[in-house]
Amino acid sequence: MQRLNRDTIVAIILLALCGVFFYVSFDIRTPEFERLAPGQMDPGLWPRIILSGLVLMALIYLAQSVISPPADQEERGGLGGWYRHYRNPIHCFLAFGAFMLLIPYLGMLLAGMLFVFGMMTMLGGRERWLIGTHATVSVCTVGGMWFIFACLLSVQLPRSSLFPDAEEWLLVNICGISEAIGGLFAAAPRACAVILV
Amino acid sequence: MIENILIAGAELWSVGTLLLMALGVVAGLIAGAIPGFTIAMAVVLVLPFTFGMSPVQGLGTMIGVYVGGLSGGLMSGILTGIPGTPSSVATTFDGFPLARGGKAGLALGVGVWASFFGGVIGAIVLVLVAPQLARIGQEFQPWDYFALMAFALTVTASLAGENMVKGLIAGLIGLLVATVGEDSVVGVPRFTFGVNSVQQGFAFLPVLVGLFAFSRLLADVRDSESAKGNLGAKSDASIRINHLVAATEVLKRWGNLVRSSLIGVFTGVLPAAGSSISNILAYDQARKYSKTPEKFGTGHLDGIVAPEAANNATAGGALIVMMALGIPGDIITAVMLGALLIHDVVPSPTFITEQPVIAYAIFIAFFMANFMMLALQSVTLRGFVRVTQVKMYMLASVILFYCALGVFALNNVEFDIWTLFWFGVLGFVMSALGFPIVPVILGVVLGGIAENALAQVIALSDDPTHFVTRPWSLFFIVLGLFSSFFHVYQRQRGRKRWTLVFIPAMCICLSVPVAMMDGIVRPVLAALLFVGGLYLLYQRHREGWVVMTEDQGEAPTIAEGGP
Repeated sequence: MQRLNRDTIVAIILLALCGVFFYVSFDIRTPEFERLAPGQMDPGLWPRIILSGLVLMALIYLAQSVISPPADQEERGGLGGWYRHYRNPIHCFLAFGAFMLLIPYLGMLLAGMLFVFGMMTMLGGRERWLIGTHATVSVCTVGGMWFIFACLLSVQLPRSSLFPDAEEWLLVNICGISEAIGGLFAAAPRACAVILV
Repeated sequence: MIENILIAGAELWSVGTLLLMALGVVAGLIAGAIPGFTIAMAVVLVLPFTFGMSPVQGLGTMIGVYVGGLSGGLMSGILTGIPGTPSSVATTFDGFPLARGGKAGLALGVGVWASFFGGVIGAIVLVLVAPQLARIGQEFQPWDYFALMAFALTVTASLAGENMVKGLIAGLIGLLVATVGEDSVVGVPRFTFGVNSVQQGFAFLPVLVGLFAFSRLLADVRDSESAKGNLGAKSDASIRINHLVAATEVLKRWGNLVRSSLIGVFTGVLPAAGSSISNILAYDQARKYSKTPEKFGTGHLDGIVAPEAANNATAGGALIVMMALGIPGDIITAVMLGALLIHDVVPSPTFITEQPVIAYAIFIAFFMANFMMLALQSVTLRGFVRVTQVKMYMLASVILFYCALGVFALNNVEFDIWTLFWFGVLGFVMSALGFPIVPVILGVVLGGIAENALAQVIALSDDPTHFVTRPWSLFFIVLGLFSSFFHVYQRQRGRKRWTLVFIPAMCICLSVPVAMMDGIVRPVLAALLFVGGLYLLYQRHREGWVVMTEDQGEAPTIAEGGP
């Protein structure tokens, strides 16, 4: 028997997903008041129209993949070959997943620095001088953006539950200094005017 | 009108807004200068920063990025031979040989000034045409509006590239994503699978950034070699531009400049045909009209003027469609429509009438952005050359973090970062399987609007014949049908016999709804369309319905990578 090609498998998965969504679409509860308004559109109608289109297209895709299978499918050499081919993106996704899981514990600033440093070291290499560069870049870029969002735009970024005092100290001091500098700049023209007058 | 222009001008002419716009232009120039970074990605990444701004400030900043990005691509294209964006592919044909011949300053100068003049011509057409088109928008009823949305969705077929079915599947997936969460008509939760965080639906920005930027960045670092590569290795940072000479050289070629700009505007108006097509079309036309076509490809200035004027003018065309009809002309205007939604401004054909201040602010911002681009590109050229030397993996790592920070800032909800992550995975998997991403985004943007239009249609009448008896609705249905097969037509034009009938049939079919419209001008236009279609058919008949053989059809064209 001929092996299923990639497109056929994707089409079958799509059809299965459409089936699940179709099934769930009939669970969409029609509210009581809608029965009083006959002109009101059923909340499940639009999704079912889309799903019908999707089923139709998936069937055409399936037929296409069976009748004229793609000629030049890359041979990746099993699961190992597939992993080697997509190693970098997989590692990046894992790193990003770890970053999201760490946010509640380390806060956006520290978790972000670790993430950027980890990603750069993973993708760029682990030589000593590179590690120094990566550490500097991660501290400057993440710190800079954290400063813009937390201090200048006053966005409440996720705080660290492990080191709450350290982050509080940073917020108070760094944002405080920036506010003071901003105040000086704001007051400077008035001060000059007063002196001149 | 003058009152609205003054209010819009006052909002834009504040120091804060001007600074933000200048920053936007710089961000666009940097993104455009980096090969592999698209303008759409830059606009998407800037979007989170615009939440805290007023709609005028936010849109002004994004227009700055758009215009900056269109021009930024020429720098890496000319200096390294690698186009920064697809919109500057044709610029490299002559720009790079000229730079290699020791005239990098002249090549850059001509490119910058051609971009500027192209952008200004695009802006003039935008100001003149958009309000006229918007008047037509006021005639629209829900049936027409739904047909318009359906037509906009057929664009997904054109965006699909090689495989139309995959493009349509991607578009439908986008529409399905937009249905998740409470429905906008009666507020019933849909497809939440018991997850409370999904109750409100997926926020537009994390979906967009995840699908587009996240997946794209990971694709850029897929193999270690490209991840560690310098973006623009051997650029000379000591280049000087003589602006007077460059501007004079561009103005000497005014015929090419105006023609290319108009090609750009027209391409921008066509759904899904953006600056990546217009620059090649304009280059092709410039070569055809040139008295010295053999010089093209060797460092001819006409070969820089044409693509650069066209790609900047395309923005004007795309904005015409966005503002007059409320539908995106390309991916960047799709993002801008999303930005309008975030600021509670619903894009529609009545946008210019209902939101005149924002509309006129867009006009003015587009003009101003072109002037800013000219000034900033000249001043900061050396810095941009250095940016192209940053390693890809460093940029990818830092930008991924910025993506997470930006989407979190939208609602201060950590779930949005998870949305970013999952849609990043989805986007990457879809790309790896050969599905285009842009149709998904188009589906997400238009899904809610199309559903609301359908709900209005159903509430008003249960008679579906309105779709074919109302002229505008029929017009968009006919246009949508032809638009679905337009890319197949483009691929097989002149090689298959049916393609000889395609355009005449479209003219004749479109003449029917146009003839049904009120007034005198439109029925006259319908008659012209009808006669034009018949004339084309007669011409084909006289030529004996000749099609090219396979060998003739395979002759290399500019669009396929020439000259």
